[in-house]
Amino acid sequence: MHHAVSPRKRTEAIQGYLFISPWLFGFFALTLIPTLVSLYLSFTDYDLLSAPVWTGLDNFKKMFTDDPRYWKSVWATFYYAVAAVPLRLFMALLVALALNTKRHGMAFYRALTYAPSIIGDSVAVAVMWRQLFGGDGLINGLLALVGLPSKTAWLGDPRFAIWTLILLAAWQFGSSMLIFLAGLKQIPEELYESASIDGASGPRRFFSITLPMLTPVILFNLVMQTINGLIVFTPALIITSGKPLDTTNFYALYLYRRAFESFQMGYGSGMAWVLLAAASALTLVIFKTSSRWVFYASDRGGEG
Amino acid sequence: MRRVLLLMVAALIAAGSPIWAKGSTEAAKPAQKVELKAIWWGSQARHEGTIKTIELYQQKNPNVTMVYEFANWNDYWTKVTTMAAGGQLPDVMQQDYAYVAEWNKRNLLHGLDEYVQSKVLDFSNVSDSLISSGRIDNKLYAVNLGSNSQTMMLDKDAFEKAGVALPKSDWSWEDFEKIALELHEKLGIYGHGSGLDNNQLWKNVYISLGQGAYAADGKSTGYTDDKPFADFLTMVQRLIKAGAVPTKQESIATWGDGDNPEQWPIIQKKAAMQSMWSNQAFAVDKASGAGRHFVLMSIPRTKKGAASPNYIKASQFFSVSNQSKVPQEAAKFINYITNDVDANKILLAERGVPISSAIREALAPLVPPITQEVFNYVGWVAKEASPCPPPDPVKHNEIVNNIYKPQVVEQVFFGKITPEEGAKLLRTKANELLATIK
Repeated sequence: MHHAVSPRKRTEAIQGYLFISPWLFGFFALTLIPTLVSLYLSFTDYDLLSAPVWTGLDNFKKMFTDDPRYWKSVWATFYYAVAAVPLRLFMALLVALALNTKRHGMAFYRALTYAPSIIGDSVAVAVMWRQLFGGDGLINGLLALVGLPSKTAWLGDPRFAIWTLILLAAWQFGSSMLIFLAGLKQIPEELYESASIDGASGPRRFFSITLPMLTPVILFNLVMQTINGLIVFTPALIITSGKPLDTTNFYALYLYRRAFESFQMGYGSGMAWVLLAAASALTLVIFKTSSRWVFYASDRGGEG
Repeated sequence: MRRVLLLMVAALIAAGSPIWAKGSTEAAKPAQKVELKAIWWGSQARHEGTIKTIELYQQKNPNVTMVYEFANWNDYWTKVTTMAAGGQLPDVMQQDYAYVAEWNKRNLLHGLDEYVQSKVLDFSNVSDSLISSGRIDNKLYAVNLGSNSQTMMLDKDAFEKAGVALPKSDWSWEDFEKIALELHEKLGIYGHGSGLDNNQLWKNVYISLGQGAYAADGKSTGYTDDKPFADFLTMVQRLIKAGAVPTKQESIATWGDGDNPEQWPIIQKKAAMQSMWSNQAFAVDKASGAGRHFVLMSIPRTKKGAASPNYIKASQFFSVSNQSKVPQEAAKFINYITNDVDANKILLAERGVPISSAIREALAPLVPPITQEVFNYVGWVAKEASPCPPPDPVKHNEIVNNIYKPQVVEQVFFGKITPEEGAKLLRTKANELLATIK
């Protein structure tokens, strides 16, 4: 069955590899090799200017036992993800439901609500957010206008600073919203029709048809946004620069500071690998639990 | 994810460096086409000025093509460190006192004495004391671009309006506290803006006592008594409580935590004093608009009769990279910045007071009043200033970014720990780090 590869086949193979070679180069040079190098660096003390020095598990030991700011950054990131991810998904679903109608000009509204997500991760939005919540920013101006206390230092107060970032995340619901919208469009119309005939109310239809049919999409969005939540960086760098009292010193920001501001590339690499492990573990947990709550139309569950 | 990627890219550059560093070894012959790369950090005003001087240099030397890059302070060091790891350092790079020893230790800088001897670098109008800070083990590695000292900027109009007399140069933090309170009570503005928790003032507190933040060998702190710094923090706490200095919350929310000169409250007439580096006075004056009158005063002494906390320092240097293929051309460019009148008429001493006496004389009638004030100030404060401490030890960055700011001053000013606890924590943790330096 196994013959020598014909010259034509070989030419085809070479051509194929040539065609994907830009991607292959990118994958090896920019992804695989650096990833492996960073794994090596995580066991070293490396300041970029002199050769890395092998230190075994020292970086990890220090991280877990001798760096109070590390655990603060873990807590801040966890807090942020737990608050921001559900809030964003909730907003996304709400807006997707509102936009899932066949009214005139709906395309315009869809584009409008998606806009914050396109520009959302940019420095410009972060700067704008800073202006909004600054000491004499728009929010305090509006509060003063309606006679409410308007002297709150939103960005400087350890109680509120992280919530300004969570709010920003909730506002950037666009990409999840689009995916929800696509999910909603795939729910067969007949289900709703037969439910109407049976006299099901609006909420009933939502909880018995829409939500179950949407669970695969919810799973996808949940995984994607959880990962996004764990690697949040730009808003914390620009809006709060990790302050006050490290309440917004998120994991990726702290990693960056260690690696590129204090030039502890080994420590930074170590932190990156712990993050990768934690994100993978969390994703695994979400997938494991998904069999209990995700409904696939194709499989006929026990209730059939 | 982007940052993780960046980290990986940096790792790649590092991994690839043995291959990339080889490059071409052909030497540039004189009068041949030369490509010269330069990089610096700074403000918008500096970028514009430096680019114009580079264009002028190319006009005067048609065989030279210059390629340049610039960044702000933090990004700069990330950038050049990554470049160094990849063997891609520009020929001319701006250098800082805190980094020059470290970079030399890594064998990244080109010695400049040969060019001083051959007069490529002409220091005939420069007094030796102004270039000595660029020497390591008696060898010149960096050329001072301008002299600088710490200063307390005073809003003269605010002082007059409040009827408060301007302080004398031997004032102490005790005098400062009284003046700040009085200004606040009479004018309802801050006596001093944010930034009183800057690590520079921690250094000044101990220099005034004849010690230093760091020991001469950089392997421990230069002091053992926490009380002077604890007292300083306590004074700032009292001023915050009285409303004469912004709280840490306001400082972060409204004034950029004192990190960015363009955001200092003195610009908006919301504070009457602001501590800074003397060359920053230019940016503050520019941002304040016309019709303001600023006086530069020395930093208050730790106590009455103590030594001056001020010292004269090179605001920054130019150095030549050891990876340069055209070091002599790089030295030539540094000489142009040091001695060329036309170039300095563009730069207008924005990097600090020029080291060449001929340039200072040529500029005096041309510079704006604030620069004249800076010239005068650095001139008189030099006479009473304490000696310049040795360059900051290698771990200084980590001490400031990981200990001083987040674990000490923020904790103190958010009331999580006392000034005494903060001062002690700073010294203990700093010493732990300094002890690891080989």
